Amino acid sequence: MLTRALAGEAAAFGMLVRTHQRSVYSLALRMLSDRHEAEDLAQEVFLGLHRNLPSVESPAHLTFWLRKVTLNRAIDRLRREPRQTVSLEDAGALVIDGTEQRDPLLQRRLRALLAQLTPAARAVMLLRYQEDLNPNEIARTLNMSINTVKSHLKRSLATLRERIGSGADMGAGKTELGCLSDEAG
Amino acid sequence: MSNELNDRLRAALRPVDPGESFTQGVLARIAGEPPGLRVSAHRAVRMLELRWLSGALLAVAAAGFLVAHQWQARQHAQQGQEARRQVMEALRVTSEKLDLAYQVVKDKEHSGA
Repeated sequence: MLTRALAGEAAAFGMLVRTHQRSVYSLALRMLSDRHEAEDLAQEVFLGLHRNLPSVESPAHLTFWLRKVTLNRAIDRLRREPRQTVSLEDAGALVIDGTEQRDPLLQRRLRALLAQLTPAARAVMLLRYQEDLNPNEIARTLNMSINTVKSHLKRSLATLRERIGSGADMGAGKTELGCLSDEAG
Repeated sequence: MSNELNDRLRAALRPVDPGESFTQGVLARIAGEPPGLRVSAHRAVRMLELRWLSGALLAVAAAGFLVAHQWQARQHAQQGQEARRQVMEALRVTSEKLDLAYQVVKDKEHSGA
């Protein structure tokens, strides 16, 4: 597919977009917390890919490139135009697929809490829990040291545990949140 | 226990698909780009050709280096053989001269006696 896209076949490039759009769009959405901006950024990333296709060496390199460029562009946008943090009341706006099978409230709250992390910490968490990368892979993608990645993960998880624990009476089931607040201790 | 938080984070961060309209939007934006920015088939083929060409050049350079290295090694071996032959020849001549001198001295001793 990559070779065919490289040869200028539009249908093959369309297939590449379809294959990777979930990952790219979701990274952009959870970094920017805005559907329209996320869609715009994700489209820009694919336009950039189209221009730089000859430099892509393999399917693995393509995935690496897309994650790196998406997160770097999102971080750049956030630096240029800092956002207000998303309140827990607005967290419902982040639910976008309607396919959550259990704990929908808790999942909304987790996403809202993630949106309150610094852009770099959020990028690390997204690569770890959305893309399932290990700390070494995250360090390479974000051009960070492995210790920085581990430190972001540790601090972000501690923050999430603490905030979920302290907000146990704010709407989600107490049993579910009780389990998570136990983890903090 | 922390596995539970990991699982919940993974569930909360499941990737979502922006839909077919997104794909169409990307393709439409590419179609609307100035031609200079598009990856033409010609350019892509040229890139592939350049990659092949650079690979072939590298292979030729490596082969040339190997041949030159072997030729140089053979030259050294031949020079060594020649030097050895010359040393042996010199030793042989020296030995003959010494024999001759010994013979002359011996003959003189006999005639003196």
